[in-house]
Amino acid sequence: MSEVKDEKMKRQETIKLPYMLDFYPLEDEKNTRISSFFKNLKQGRLTTTKCKRCGKLLWPPRIVCPGCLSNELEWIDLGSEGELHAFTEMRLGAPLGFVEDLPFCIGIVKIGGLYLSTRIDDATYQDLRIGMKVQLKMIRLDDGRVFYRFTPSS
Amino acid sequence: MREVAIVGGGATKAGKREATWRDLVQEAGKQMFESVDNISPNDIEGLLVGAAQPERFVFQAHVAPMIAEYLGIIPKKVIARTELMCGSGQAAIRYAWACIASGMVDLAVAFGVEKMFMPDMAEAQTNMTCVLDREWDGINGLSAPPFFAMTAQRHMLKYGTTKEQMARVSVKNHHYSSMNPLAQFQKEITVEHVLKSPIVAPPLNLFDCSGITDGAAGIVLAPAEDAKKYTDTPMYIIGGGQANVGNAINNLASVTEWVPLKMAVDETLRTAKITIDDIDIAELHDCFTISEIMEYEAFGWCKKGEGGEFIEDGEPYIGGRVAVNPRGGLLGCGHPLGATAILQTIDILQQVRGEVPKGRLVDGAEVAVAHNLSGAANVHSIIAYSRSLR
Repeated sequence: MSEVKDEKMKRQETIKLPYMLDFYPLEDEKNTRISSFFKNLKQGRLTTTKCKRCGKLLWPPRIVCPGCLSNELEWIDLGSEGELHAFTEMRLGAPLGFVEDLPFCIGIVKIGGLYLSTRIDDATYQDLRIGMKVQLKMIRLDDGRVFYRFTPSS
Repeated sequence: MREVAIVGGGATKAGKREATWRDLVQEAGKQMFESVDNISPNDIEGLLVGAAQPERFVFQAHVAPMIAEYLGIIPKKVIARTELMCGSGQAAIRYAWACIASGMVDLAVAFGVEKMFMPDMAEAQTNMTCVLDREWDGINGLSAPPFFAMTAQRHMLKYGTTKEQMARVSVKNHHYSSMNPLAQFQKEITVEHVLKSPIVAPPLNLFDCSGITDGAAGIVLAPAEDAKKYTDTPMYIIGGGQANVGNAINNLASVTEWVPLKMAVDETLRTAKITIDDIDIAELHDCFTISEIMEYEAFGWCKKGEGGEFIEDGEPYIGGRVAVNPRGGLLGCGHPLGATAILQTIDILQQVRGEVPKGRLVDGAEVAVAHNLSGAANVHSIIAYSRSLR
């Protein structure tokens, strides 16, 4: 019987976070047609699109109005202070990339006529109350990409 | 349009299984084909597969042909996967129903499978955050538990629903799953167990949440006029409804009132020509305890906001107003996403055949509904079944 060769294979065990496990979208104009949202956010402005033809306020931001099919949309400001509509605190079962953040608060914030889900930073569950005012904040990743969060208004 | 019957079905035991996705498929396929007479895999013309996220859980796409291969099916008319997250299995049943009703297919299999346990469970949780709009909601870590936690918080605020009332839903469903050999959790629990279980996302504790589950199941569907060729005791589809309103959190009709569920209920009652009083068994999607409470309300067995009192009064137990989840529900049986709706249907079939243990048998049950929700409860799917054509 001939001997079967038993060869060790080296596999790379540490890899850069792959695109498919990255929660944050590619934000620049080469990758998305709503790059203005992120440009505005970098200037501290939370914005969304509004249809110039039928006046419909759209969230998430779009390139076509689902109400009238117009692609003439304008960017409008939602303001920087909202009201906490609901909240909870993730204590178990966080996804990859968020495990280090546990526990963290998540809420639904009413702002500019919209209900946005968001992380609520700089607060524990006990600090939060339905109806309390929350302030817009921005987080910036190492690679420059940004996203919005909220924090209790002081 | 032809009337359609379920002529048989089979399933794996659900739970944390020492088995691969492929093993689960084969186990359930064998059980399914052994449950019917005069049908070989080669007779199946249509295969519809409910599978929510095989690409992420087991790194496999194009799964319907793989299931056909493993089960020896050579589909000649229809083959596809039907993805609707937690409603994927019901989507498979719905398409199989439509294919047979239209005359396109004479014998179809609706199959469902999910292998959810992964070596690193944080990876499984990652998968669950792309169910909601990943770039706007999932990005915030918003998976199912925090969404339903906020739903519960608003329901408690608006209607006075209590954590203890929610816990009672889990107690009921574990009571019934303790008598279900296919269930993931086969132990009775108490209200205290629920309230003292680890907090996942307040106000939800671990036992307020359905589990991560491996499992597979399949059913065979045939035209009603042929059903007796394959079994002495078929069960018939008599109607159904399905509705979707919005997707991102901002575009939901309401957090505390599931408008698409009301739409799906109305359509089910209309097409099945029944009232809620005709329903003997309701397999409702209790992914979280608050879900089942809101479903009592949307079906209309109690007034809006009184779901908590409904469970407190024992009304959703066998012998009460309506038997809700005598299978043990998702809370007791587990929730292998794509397989869940198929598992509900098989249990209803066994109920009308009188094949389930006495402690959870709804004696003489005539009409049943199976319900699934998916996403941020923005999609609701219902099918109504009966032991006889009406």
